[in-house]
Amino acid sequence: MEHAEEVRSEYLTVWKWLVALLIVGLAIVALPIPKIAAVGLVFTVALVKASMVVRNYMHLKSEHLLIIAIVLVPVIFFLGLMLVLIPDIAMRP
Amino acid sequence: MEAETSAATYKPGLIAEETPTTDAVARIPLGKMGIWWFLASEIMVFGGLIICYTLFRIQHGGWAAEAAHVNWRLGALNTLVLVTSSLTMILAYGAVESDDRPRVVKYLALTVALGLAFLGIKSFEYTHEIREGFTPFSGLFWSFYFMMTGLHALHVTAGIVLNAMLLILAKRGTLWPLRQQRVEFAGLYWHFVDVVWIFLFPLLYLV
Repeated sequence: MEHAEEVRSEYLTVWKWLVALLIVGLAIVALPIPKIAAVGLVFTVALVKASMVVRNYMHLKSEHLLIIAIVLVPVIFFLGLMLVLIPDIAMRP
Repeated sequence: MEAETSAATYKPGLIAEETPTTDAVARIPLGKMGIWWFLASEIMVFGGLIICYTLFRIQHGGWAAEAAHVNWRLGALNTLVLVTSSLTMILAYGAVESDDRPRVVKYLALTVALGLAFLGIKSFEYTHEIREGFTPFSGLFWSFYFMMTGLHALHVTAGIVLNAMLLILAKRGTLWPLRQQRVEFAGLYWHFVDVVWIFLFPLLYLV
């Protein structure tokens, strides 16, 4: 029962961080900084939030390697496709 | 050596003796394996959409004027609602693990209610935008906006149906002893829907 309470408080801590990061994300947009820096920061915050959910709520941090590989392969495809295609659009005269 | 390490660190959670699993080394329940494969395919679905949106947005100079019309306050509220529903879902799973049946019912009901709240807020947003004249045919930004948020809302709807079914089973007491693992599987799906929104929110509302 004590273990259950411990786990519950751990989940609650993750939620508090997620809410705090949501506020941070909103605050970044209001900051007087260059747009490109704001975009980078906002997506970094989103990435941190997503990884917190995946690691703690989806238990990927203690999951079998096979399942981690199943998730990583499409993520690598996604990032690869993005990196390959962006120069074609961004560097078009 | 690596396989030994991963098998040793793997916590099987709710695996019952009769649960069908992959081979004896991995011992991953087939249901869990199936849901992760499904989620991997979903990463490509939403990933493809996100790539298309990003590339079109770069090509069309940022769509700042169009993006200014979406209501970021409601988007932020929906993020809070969905993140909170992820918490209640994982608490339902925790309650299943500790066999705390009243809490399973409570947290599943809360998750369903928060899912419905998300859809209610999204419907309010859609109504407002359509009244202002922004429809899926009002330009590329709005086509992407309605496509991505609409597809996500469909996923939320599916999650609500799944969780409601589990809630009924839990209320009747027929979730135990063999079906409780489904809370974990439904939870994985629900958290994935949350993760997708975590990226859609800044993509469509903030930048």
